[in-house]
Formats: sequence, C-alpha cells, structure tokens
Amino acid sequence: MNDVSQFEPKILAYVCNWCTYLGADLAGTTRLEYPPNIRIVRLPCTGRIDFNLLIKAFEVGADAVLVSGCHPGDCHYTSGNYHARRRWILFRELLDLLGFDLERIHFTWISAAEGKKFQQVVTDITEKTRKLGPYTELYAAAPVKDLPQPQPNPLQLQTFATENELRAEARKLLAEGAIKVVIGYGERGPVLVTRPEDADQLVWNNRCTANLAMYLKRKEVKALGRPAIVVKACDERSLVVLEKESQFERKDLHVIGMACEGMERPRCANCAVRTPRFADTTIGQFPQQTPTPRPNKLDALMEMSRGERMAFWVQEFDRCVKCYACRQVCSLCYCERCIVDKNQPISIDPAPGTKGNFAWHIARAFHLAGRCIGCGACTQACPVGIDLGLLNMQLARAAKKHFAYQAGVDPSAELLIGAFSQQDKEEFIG
Amino acid sequence: MSELITETRLRQLAGEWLDGGKRVVGPVRIKDRVLYQPLQSPESLLIESNPGGVRPANSIKEFFFPKQETLYQYRIRGRNIELIEPAQEFTEQLVVGARPCDAAALPILDHVFNWDFVDDFYNRRRAVTTIVTVACSATDEACFCTSVGLAPDDTRGSDAILLALGSGRYEVRCITDKGRALFPGKTETSTESAKAAPPPEAKFDPGKVRAFVDAHFEDPIWAEHGRTCMACGVCAFSCPTCHCFDIVDAGPTAGNARVRTWDTCQFPIFTQHASGHNPRALQPARQRQRILHKFSIYPEKFGEILCTGCGNCVRNCPVGLGVLNMLTEIQHGQHL
Repeated sequence: MNDVSQFEPKILAYVCNWCTYLGADLAGTTRLEYPPNIRIVRLPCTGRIDFNLLIKAFEVGADAVLVSGCHPGDCHYTSGNYHARRRWILFRELLDLLGFDLERIHFTWISAAEGKKFQQVVTDITEKTRKLGPYTELYAAAPVKDLPQPQPNPLQLQTFATENELRAEARKLLAEGAIKVVIGYGERGPVLVTRPEDADQLVWNNRCTANLAMYLKRKEVKALGRPAIVVKACDERSLVVLEKESQFERKDLHVIGMACEGMERPRCANCAVRTPRFADTTIGQFPQQTPTPRPNKLDALMEMSRGERMAFWVQEFDRCVKCYACRQVCSLCYCERCIVDKNQPISIDPAPGTKGNFAWHIARAFHLAGRCIGCGACTQACPVGIDLGLLNMQLARAAKKHFAYQAGVDPSAELLIGAFSQQDKEEFIG
Repeated sequence: MSELITETRLRQLAGEWLDGGKRVVGPVRIKDRVLYQPLQSPESLLIESNPGGVRPANSIKEFFFPKQETLYQYRIRGRNIELIEPAQEFTEQLVVGARPCDAAALPILDHVFNWDFVDDFYNRRRAVTTIVTVACSATDEACFCTSVGLAPDDTRGSDAILLALGSGRYEVRCITDKGRALFPGKTETSTESAKAAPPPEAKFDPGKVRAFVDAHFEDPIWAEHGRTCMACGVCAFSCPTCHCFDIVDAGPTAGNARVRTWDTCQFPIFTQHASGHNPRALQPARQRQRILHKFSIYPEKFGEILCTGCGNCVRNCPVGLGVLNMLTEIQHGQHL
C-alpha cells in the first residue's frame, strides 16, 4: 500500500442524479473504459451537498474527491448548481487556509450526454492523483511556527462620558412602557434591564466588548417582550444581517447606537466606523476614520506552506473541548438545532478529537460564510485560545475578493449565500 | 528545618520523567493564557506559582477524565458483533504545578467515579499519577477557595506541595509516599520556610447556600440571574469538579468506537427527551441545576461540596456569570 508504484488512488465522486450520474451511465453503456478507482455517491443535486462530506471522504481514505453536476443553466432544480458554485468558490478558500490540498478536490460539470467527458475526467483525476500519491498529509502534525501576537491592551478601566446619557435613554424607554427590556452592558457582563429604576446598572466603558446582538436569538430574552439593544458600530452589522435573514422585524427592535472610542482590545485601535448608522437613537458622535493597514495573523498564516497550515490547525483544534462557546456567543448562529446536535444520524463526530474538531470548526465557519461580520466574539469566548476568527476572516476576505461583498454593511445588498449570479467565476471548474 | 528545591532541579525532574517515556503535565503558556498541557519539553513548564494570572484557565481533570475516551471498539460482521478492548495505555504521569484547587477536586471526584459503578479508566489514571502542587502566592477577586473550606496552601489531593521562596527556589512538603519518592537527591535542607498567599476572604457560607437552594427551587432569582447565560459549556469544561459525560457510538469514520465525551447540564440538549419535551426548557433552570448539583445534591449524596472555589467559571465565562457571582448575588440579595 505504501509502495507508490503499487499505489491505486481511491477517488470519491459526489455527483448529481440528473446529469453527471447519467453521464457516467452513458459512459458505461457506450463501453467507454475508465479507471476503476472511482466510487460514485449519487445525490439529488450539487446544491444539496453538505461540504463536510468532502472532508469526510478524505477521512475515510479517499485520495481525491470529485464533485460534479449539471452545466450552468441545465440544473433540473433550475439553480442548484449556481448555488453550489458560489459555495465552492468560498469553500475552497477555507480549505486552503486549513491546509487541505486543493489539487485533490475537483469540480466539474458533466451533462447526461457527456459520457466521453466523464471518461476523460475520471482518467485525468486518477492519473493526477496517482502522481500526487496517497493523501498522508491529512491532519499530519508537525512543529508549528508562532503567529504574531498582538500586544494585549492594559486593563485600565475607563468609563466613557456618554454613560449617563445611555442610562437616561434606557430609563426613559422603559418608563414609557413600549420597551420591556434593555439589552446592555453591566459591570460584570451583559445585563437585561427590565425596570426603569434599574437603568443605572448599565455601564458604558472600554470593557463593553461583547456583541449583544447574541441575545436577540435567546428564548429567555424574547419572553421578556419588546427589546431595546445597545450596539456599537461594529456590532450593528449583526443587526443588518439578522434583519435581512428575517430574524426580526426592524420595527420590533429599538436600537440604541453608541459612538465608541474603542474598547480594550487591539483590533479596536484600527476601527474605521465608530458611530452606528442605523440606530433609532445615537448617543455621541465620532467622525469616520481611515484604518491603517497593518500586518495580521491571517497573512502570516497564508504565507506558511500548506503542510504548516494544516499542522497549525491540528495543534489549535487539539485544545478544543467542544464547549461550543464560539457558537453560543455568535449573534448569527441562531439555528434552533445545530447540525452538531443532530444525532440521527450523526453527521459531525461529536467527540473532540482531530476529525470531530475539524468537522465542527469547518461547519461553524462555513455556515457563517458571507454572514460573519467579524465582531470577534468567538475568539474572545474560546476558553483555550483558538484563533477561530481567522477562519471567518478568510471567508470574509474571499467574499470581498470574489464577490466584492461585505456582510452587514449595505442593508440593501442581497445576501451572498442564498443568492447566485450566472456570472460567478468558475475558472477552477473543469 | 525544611526541604528546598530549585527550579532547575524541578525541570530536571520533569526532564527525567519525559526521558523515561512518562507523561508530564504542567502549566504552559499558549498565546495570551496559561493552560495545563502535556509537556513537550521541561523548558515549557511554567513553575512559578502564579504565571500570567492566578491560575491556568483549564483544570487538571482532563488528565484523569479526558475530554474524549474510547471505551471499546466494535466490529460488525454480518450478524456478529465483536467487541474489542481499546489499546489504552495508562502511562505513569506527573502533574507539576497544579493549584491546590485542582488537586483538591480529585478526592471529591473519587466518590462519584467509585459509586454505583467503579470507573476503571479514571481509577487507573489516578493510580499512576503523582501530583505536585504549587501553593498560590496570589489570589484574585474570582478566587473563593476559603468559602468552600480550602486554602491557597491546601494539601488535599496533592502528593507534594511546593511553596515559593523566591528566586526560583521552593520549599517542598511531601504529603504521601508517592510524593516522597520524587525528590531524593534533588532537595537540600534549609532553615527557610515559605508562606502562601493570605486566603481570600470568605464570600459566602455554603451551609446557608444549601439551605437557600433547597428551599427556593422556584425563586425568581434564578430567572433574574440565569437569563443572560448563553448556554455554552465553558464553566463546566474548565471546572475541576464538573464530571458529566455523554456516550456516543462513533461510526465507521471514527473507528467504530464507543466514545465517552464531556457533557454539561448547560447544554439545552442535555435534558432533551426523544419526544422533544425538555424538562429544563430555559437557561435559568440549567443554571439552577449546576448550583444545586454542586451545593446540595452532591453534598447530600457524598457529603462534600462539588466545588473547590478555583474561580475558573467566573474568569472564563463570556458573559460574566459563574458560581461565585450567583452565590454572592443570593447573599447580597439578602436571601440568606
């Protein structure tokens, strides 16, 4: 098996029922020979493929994976392949960051009439994979280089001047009666203020780092009645995404926007937008700034070799205990039942081992593709210091690069995932 | 007279264990925090008693009760199911630099792992482990060992305890034979004696807490306090004493194994019935459960509080909750 001259690659193909599967069938009935190294899994549509299946293919021993469906315009469900294409574009970038070998992941369009093309594609992939050899790099541990760590900001507590104005506003809203709860910051952490006389529990200082939009999904908060929420300009982008995804009606939420001098985290020093734009009440005012570009961890990671990147994530995920704090504090992770909590069947290994952790972190990051607004709550909440935000940052960068899209910035823009364009780039699709 | 050991000698000791193919666990710096990790080399060990904060952000329980553990593997051939014993190795391990609040958790956990079922995995790891504790030389506002009957230099659960004398020197006090077996030839006799940090002030009375929680199952304080909880498992997974687990059958992609993983009462699906009904429907009920288990249920069953006052739940909570805050709230709310 380890003798490369004897190596027979195993290739797993996820194909759509209507085009590629029939293309394969045609290849068979017209007696076109192709290497027997391929194992086909038939799915209704490429738009239906859960991307963790690609990873799972490698985990069960595939050396390469092929995903193939109908040509653009030919989808039997009109647009499944367009949706798939848009997701592949982003997913490839995530896999690249994680150190997967993109040479082993193939995307093609093969129609029911293209038996010949199916034969060609399978032959090419088999030969290419034979040259690459067995996929031993998968989850391989190796010594890991350190990423640049930002200097921690000193923990000097600084109360901002607008704190009293915030308290007065909250008191007024609660006293008027239309607002039942103010979601704000308290001395120790987030507080839910329900009585006007408790408005003084609210604070506004440089420790107000949490993105309070996470509370909008909580049943415990919904039960309290119509909420008002304290947001910074950065967190406000969560509200834009949530509203666009029909998670609340704007009229049912009162937004108290706080102009922000910057919190005690390194990232805040470089913030461009300090005054919320869509709030019902805005307290304080700061001019827009131009952020200075600076070296970041993501660049440093992408400069490493593929093997080093994978080793980096193997080491990071090794510490994961699956406490799911990253998911719980995310304002945009609002599914009633998360994919990891589904156990009939289990689609993501619930154990916090290498496989289970890769599967979970890929699923989490990718479910936020084109949605994450980069508040950093996940990284901040992680008790074992995994740089989870890098995964989301890479996807945000990909969204910007390929689709000129930034989540939560333009309320009139169509959502990135869930929409498609016939013009989406596809140079990597065979 | 006291016994004294230098930091160099301690690293040497760790190095000898590592060279002997044994496992050494201790506090290690990972980015902006300190965590207990298996050491790759003795140099990475942070021996000083309070590196980068009061204590590591995790606990040593994972070296006795790992976050995932294969109980057995299985092979299905037709109608035959064959069970395969896991190739577990219970390598001798040395924990250096544990805090007293970590070590004290083990005798408390021994009760539950030897109750109606004797947990072989846990017991075997306990048997092969030697624990060298470092007494705390500082405490912070989240520390509350005093409130649960412990102290910054408590020796419960430790085989030996080190007390910092400054300049990389420690006074060694051996507690058990395992501890005494560690240091021959490595210590010198001295007249100096060290002192730990003054104990943090007592922040609540566990007896009164128990009386309160037993009598106030439906009190509004649970809802008031628990509703900002985001239902993650940070508190439980960084807790030295929380020990709930789930057992899953990992399928062929995970090696056909029955695996035990950590679980916590803070997860909504912890109590979810197959019908969809959830007896602990909202987060406050789950918060209440955690307090009840620690301060009422466990004491009733085993005669001990299931908490060592380490404060990890307070420091790690993403939304500023934790056992201490809940209990001081009860106290300040004049519920006691």
